[in-house]
Amino acid sequence: MAFNVTQAAKNGIAGVSAPLPKKDLADPIFRAVAFSAATLLLITLGGLLVSLVIGGWPALSTFGLGFFTSTTWNPATEVFGAAGPIVGTLLTAVIALAFALPIAICIAVFLTQFCPKIIAQPISTAIELLAGIPSIVYGMWGLFVFAPWFAKTIQLPLLLSVDPDSLWGKLFAGVPNGANILTASTILAIMILPYMAAVFRELFRSVPPQVREAAFGLGCTPFEVVSSVLIPYVQKGMIGVIMLGFGRALGETMAVTFIIGNAHGFPESLFASGSTLASTIANEFTEATGDLHTSALIALGLVLFMITFGVLAMARALLSSQRY
Amino acid sequence: MSDTETEFKSVITPPPADQIVLETRHLNFFYGTHQSLFDVSIPVKRNGITALIGPSGCGKSTLLRTMNRMYDLYPGQRAEGEILIDGENVIGPKIDVTALRAKVGMVFQKPTPFPMSIYDNVAFGVKLYHKKSKAEMDEVVETSLRRAALWDEVKDKLNKSGLSLSGGQQQRLCVARGIAVEPEILLLDEPASALDPISTAKLEDTLEELKRDITIIIVTHNLQQAARLSDYTGFMYLGKLIEFGPTETLFVNPKCEKTSDYIGGRFG
Amino acid sequence: MALALSRATRRKLASQVFVAVCIGAAALALLALSLIMFSLFTKGFGGMNLMVFTADTPGPDSAGGLRNAIVGSVIMCALAMMLAVVIGVLAGTWLSEIGGNSPYGHVVRFLNDVLLSAPSILIGLFIYELLVRPMHGFSAWAGAIALGILATPIVTRTTEDILNLQPNALREAGMALGASQWVTVRKIIWKAAGAGLLTGGLLGFARISGETAPLLFTALNNQFFSLNMNQPMASLPGVIFQFAMSPFDTWQELAWAGALLITVTVLAINILGRWIARDTDHK
Repeated sequence: MAFNVTQAAKNGIAGVSAPLPKKDLADPIFRAVAFSAATLLLITLGGLLVSLVIGGWPALSTFGLGFFTSTTWNPATEVFGAAGPIVGTLLTAVIALAFALPIAICIAVFLTQFCPKIIAQPISTAIELLAGIPSIVYGMWGLFVFAPWFAKTIQLPLLLSVDPDSLWGKLFAGVPNGANILTASTILAIMILPYMAAVFRELFRSVPPQVREAAFGLGCTPFEVVSSVLIPYVQKGMIGVIMLGFGRALGETMAVTFIIGNAHGFPESLFASGSTLASTIANEFTEATGDLHTSALIALGLVLFMITFGVLAMARALLSSQRY
Repeated sequence: MSDTETEFKSVITPPPADQIVLETRHLNFFYGTHQSLFDVSIPVKRNGITALIGPSGCGKSTLLRTMNRMYDLYPGQRAEGEILIDGENVIGPKIDVTALRAKVGMVFQKPTPFPMSIYDNVAFGVKLYHKKSKAEMDEVVETSLRRAALWDEVKDKLNKSGLSLSGGQQQRLCVARGIAVEPEILLLDEPASALDPISTAKLEDTLEELKRDITIIIVTHNLQQAARLSDYTGFMYLGKLIEFGPTETLFVNPKCEKTSDYIGGRFG
Repeated sequence: MALALSRATRRKLASQVFVAVCIGAAALALLALSLIMFSLFTKGFGGMNLMVFTADTPGPDSAGGLRNAIVGSVIMCALAMMLAVVIGVLAGTWLSEIGGNSPYGHVVRFLNDVLLSAPSILIGLFIYELLVRPMHGFSAWAGAIALGILATPIVTRTTEDILNLQPNALREAGMALGASQWVTVRKIIWKAAGAGLLTGGLLGFARISGETAPLLFTALNNQFFSLNMNQPMASLPGVIFQFAMSPFDTWQELAWAGALLITVTVLAINILGRWIARDTDHK
C-alpha cells in the first residue's frame, strides 16, 4: 500500500486516489528555530539580570543595605555608597520630564489640532527624525555650547545677585562652569522631547475624528476639546508614554556624562555638579582601581536595571491596554 | 453640461412661511476644488422632523454638516450662499461658531460617547454654558436621559463609563448629551445605521417625543425610516436638491421622475 | 445674560491663550533643536576634510583623521545587524505567525518591549561580564554582539508589526495550495512584507550606529587601524566621546566632524527607511 502511494506520486499520477502528503520535516524545524529565537530574547534579558547580580554581588555583600543609603563613594579607600548617583539619576530624570512633558504635549496638540496639514507633515517628519539622532550629539552640544552659555548668562549673574545664605542662594550654589544637575536635566529634556512629541502625536491621531467632531458639535472651544475629551480619551496611553520618556531619561548615558560634572556624593543644589548611575559607570568602569570598585559599578548597573525595569514594565502594561 | 445646470430647478413645496426655522439659500459647498453641493435651497419647518434622503454620495451628509459649520474643522472646505437660522445668516464670518453649535446640536453615525461617566457625558455640554448646582445638574441629566428614553436603563449606573453601554444605548446617550444643552435644532447623521432593529425603534420613539419642541433634521438611507418618522422630506441627487415637500406627498405622489425612480427602488 | 456672555468670552479667551501657548511651545522646541543642528553643522564642517577619511586617529595636538574609527564602526555594526536580523526576524515571525497569542508569547512580547528600551549601558555591562571578563580582554566581537543585542528587539518588534499587517487571505491562500507553513512564510509572507522588513532593519541599524555606551567596555577603543576581531577596535561614537572630553583643540574638532558624520548617516538611513516604507504604501 505504502509502496503504491509512493509509486503513484513518483509517476506523477494524481487524482483518483490522491497521495497523502509525505511527512514534512521543514515545518517542525521552522517552528523550533523560530521558537528558539524568541526564547533567546528571554534568555538575554534573564542573563542580563543574572550577570548584574553576580557581578555586583561582592560590593552588595560588603556594604549591605548601606550601599543604597551611603553617599560616600571613594575608590581610594574602597568605600562605595550609591545614594549620590541614585538621587542624581532620579532628580535629573524628574526635572527633565517636568521640562519636556508640557512642551511635548503642546507640540503634539499643535500638530494634530491647530496646524494646517501642509506645515504639520514636514514638522512631524522633522521631529521624528530628530528623535533618532544619537544622544552623544546632544551631549556634545550641551558640553560645548549650552553649558558655557548657561554659566555666563544665567549662573554667574544669579550667584552674584542672591544672598548665599538665603533659600535661593542654597538652591543656586555651585561652581559656575555650567556642568551641573540643572543643565544636565535640560539637555536630557531636549533629548527626550522629539521622542515624546512624536509618540504623543501618534496617540492623539488615534482618537476617532467623530469624537472630536462630537465635542465641537456641542460647542466646545478648541481648548475644551483637547482638555476634556482628547486627553481623557488617551489617558492611559499618555501615562505609558510619560513612563517611556522617564525610562529613557533614567537610563541615558552619553547626553548626561558630558555635562553633569561627575561629582560623587549627594547633589547639594541644582547648580552643583552631580552624577547619575549611568554616568558613573561610563566614566569609571574602564579605569576601575580594583575588583571591589568594578563590582560596585556593576551593582550601580543592577540598581539602574531595577528602576528602569519597573518603570518600563509599567509603561508597557499601560500602553498595551490602550493599543494605538 | 452648463445648460442642464442652469435649467435645473428644485421642485419645492415649502412649509408655511411663519413656521420656517432654518433655510438654506443657493448653498454651494466645496471640498477644495471639488464642488459637492449645487445651489441647494431648503426650508425646514420648526418643531418637526425633516428627513434628507438620496443615494450615497448625493451630498445629504454634507448639507447637514454645513448647518452647524462642522466643515470649519477642515481647511479647504468652504460653503457659499446663505443658511438662515431665525433669520440670521450663519455662514458669515462674524458668527460665533461655538454659540451656533450650542443652538444646533449634532448626533453622528457612529456613537461617540466621551471617555467619562454616563452622568458626565450628559453634564459635559451643560457645564460649558451654565454654572449649575449639583441638584440642578442632577435634574438636567435626569430630564435629558428621560427624554432620550435611556433613564430607566442607566439610572442605577450613572457613574459607569459611557463606553460600557451597548451601541444603541450609546447612541441614545449621545442624543441625551445633545439635547441637554437645549438646542433649537438637532442634526442627526444616519444615527441608526450602526444599530440593530430594536435599538433603532427605541431611537425613533425618542425622536418622535423630541420633535414636539426641537427641530430635527435627519439624514438617512433608510426610506422606510424617512417615511415613518418625518413630516417633510428632501430628496437629493448628485449634490442637488431634486425635490422637497411634505413626506406623504413626496412618497405617494412625487413630482419628479428621479424621485419616483429612487423611491420605487429603480436605482440607488 | 451678562453672566452668560462673560462666561462665553472667558471660555474663548482661555482657548485662544491655550492655542497661543501650544504654538509658542512648538516654536521654542523647534528653535532649540535647530540651534543644535546649526552648531553641529557649522562646527562639524569646520573639522571636516579629506584626512578625516584617510588618516587614523592622531595623538594629542597632531593632525589626523577618523579612518580606523569609521571602519571599526562599519564592521561592528554590520556584524551586529547580521545577528539582529537573523534572530529578530525569526523571533518576530514566531510572535506573529506561530506562538504570539499563547501566554508564553505574551511574556516574550512584553520582555522584548522592555529590552527595546532598556538603558544601553547595561547591555555593555552584560557583555563585559559574559565575554570580556572570562576571555580576559576587550574585543571587537564583544562590541558587535553588544550592538546586536541592542538591535535585535527593534527588528523583532518591526517584524511582528509588519507581518501582522499582511492579510490573512495570503496565509490561507498559501495553505490552501497545500504549501507547508514554512514555505508559506518564506515564499509568500516574508516576500510580501519585504519592504517593511528592510525598513525595520534600517531603523535598527540607524539606532546602533550612534550608540556609544555599550561599546565603552566591550570593544573599548584602539588608536590604530585594526581589522582583528579579537582585539579592541575603535568606533566612531567611542572616539567622539574620548576626543570631546579631551582638552585638545584638534581632538575636539575631530569629535565634531565625527558627530556630523554620524548624524548625517543616521538621518540618511532613517530617510531611506521611510522612503522605502512609503513607496510600498502607494503600491
